Amino acid sequence: MDIQLKRGLLDVCVLASIQSEDSYGYKIIRDIRPYLEMSESTLYTILKRLETGGMLTVFSIEHEGRLRKYYHITDRGIDRIKEFKNDWQEMISIYRFITREDNDHE
Amino acid sequence: MSILRRRLFGLPPMEIEERLAFYNEMIDDRMEDGMSEEEAVEAIGPIDDIVSQIISEIPLSRIVKDTAMPKRGLRGWEIALLILCAPIWIPLLIASFVVLLSLYLVVWVLVGVLFIVTVSLGVSAIAAIPAAFMWLKSGNFAGSLFFIGSGLICAGLAILFFKLAVLAAKGVIKGTDKFLTSIKSSLIGKECAA
Repeated sequence: MDIQLKRGLLDVCVLASIQSEDSYGYKIIRDIRPYLEMSESTLYTILKRLETGGMLTVFSIEHEGRLRKYYHITDRGIDRIKEFKNDWQEMISIYRFITREDNDHE
Repeated sequence: MSILRRRLFGLPPMEIEERLAFYNEMIDDRMEDGMSEEEAVEAIGPIDDIVSQIISEIPLSRIVKDTAMPKRGLRGWEIALLILCAPIWIPLLIASFVVLLSLYLVVWVLVGVLFIVTVSLGVSAIAAIPAAFMWLKSGNFAGSLFFIGSGLICAGLAILFFKLAVLAAKGVIKGTDKFLTSIKSSLIGKECAA
């Protein structure tokens, strides 16, 4: 897959994984793994980028005698997901246009 | 984690602590999920990959600022020495920078030349078509054939030079990236090498 495309997808995947409830690093990786492969280093970078961009906030909760960082989506993060969905609708129409001849042949 | 800490020596301390805390949390969560400590550490990935990814993500200016600049304030004699030696080190610094910049520009100019040659060959190939027609009109079949042949050769060379120019441009971009990474790597992890 194209690197730029994958990068954009990973950002939205991380946001989607914390959309319904706040989540932590390992759970985010576990939730995304069936769809996209992502290393810890990559996740760290994405979380930092999204935090800097104001799309998520971070807070810590004590868990099993240690602090665990949780990530909470902001309104801007939700807007980013909506934006992605709209863009993707356009992409789907373009994909259908590109593959229409393949479908006609079948 | 101690190896990773050593390999990242030179990076801003807060950056190192934040990253290590993140990886530690990941290892703890994996162990809680049933993995052994070895498996959890292994799942984080090879240390070389982690280090190179971290280095590539942090801008060179920030690394230079954090490694080249002294952590403590300069002493009086150090400031005096810097001022006294300024006529030597400032021109040397500027000259080194200018030489490096010039070399880099020369490389890009060479790439630019390849693109200019491509355009020239393309224009020659196109110009050969009306020339061939004119020779044909005047009844000189051999001259017309010569221009058609020349045009085709120019077109072929234009395609070849275009591919070469694109390859060269990509190579320069990759080379720049590698050069910057090697500078960053030389500044980071000095303690590990020592």
